[in-house]
Amino acid sequence: MELKQISGPITLDIPTDPAALFLVRFLVERLTQRLEFPQDQVDRMVLAVDEACTNIIRHAYGSSLNERIILTFIVEPDQVEFRIRDFGLQANPENFKPRDLAEVQPGGLGLHFIRSAMDQVRYETPPDGGTLLTMLKFRNRKEVSDP
Amino acid sequence: MKLSVQEKQPMVYMVAIEGEVDMSSSPELRAHLAPLFRKGTSHVIVELSGVPYIDSSGIATLIEGLQLSRKSSIRFTLAGARPSVEAVFELAYLKGVFEMVPRIEDCLL
Repeated sequence: MELKQISGPITLDIPTDPAALFLVRFLVERLTQRLEFPQDQVDRMVLAVDEACTNIIRHAYGSSLNERIILTFIVEPDQVEFRIRDFGLQANPENFKPRDLAEVQPGGLGLHFIRSAMDQVRYETPPDGGTLLTMLKFRNRKEVSDP
Repeated sequence: MKLSVQEKQPMVYMVAIEGEVDMSSSPELRAHLAPLFRKGTSHVIVELSGVPYIDSSGIATLIEGLQLSRKSSIRFTLAGARPSVEAVFELAYLKGVFEMVPRIEDCLL
């Protein structure tokens, strides 16, 4: 039976150790499957959340293993919201741009994957430091797949 | 993630991967893959049928392999990618960039 809503946010507080990311992927996969998203969208959301965490580990925390990332999932009848909070180095969100996909270069794909998976993506730099990334995916919306 | 390297035919090397290729495992893949692009190698194949998930770190490692293959004129093939992994290549507009075959037998003489 489709899960309509969860009354309150779900919070996951993980270390910035890439070895912990499989747990994030597992949780996002199970959650979005229970919300009855098609499997291709589930896979894209799993990838997007994973890439967001990877970017934080690499860029905000300089690959340090001992910092924290706080993930919050909010399930509502019409949308699922993924909030990812770090307390690392702030960067100007206007500079967060995916690379030109015509160039075959390693790196720079993560932002493209995030924007491809989600309906809305917003970066904020809270006054107490770090970055808050909010990603929204609408439910029950018929989407046209990319060619 | 588990990796094994085999010489399938003289100077044809296969790297078989079992498990997820992500930020934590891609450095190990890079360490196994890069040394294969050496003098005398004719073909490097990455066998992906045991990979249920790949992220941009894994894709970046394979792009590095592709760049090394071009530099050294060594054939480079990805074999056996599952649909979930193929979808990531498609999303990155990379499906036509790599030589990708359904099974390893499809790229061996």
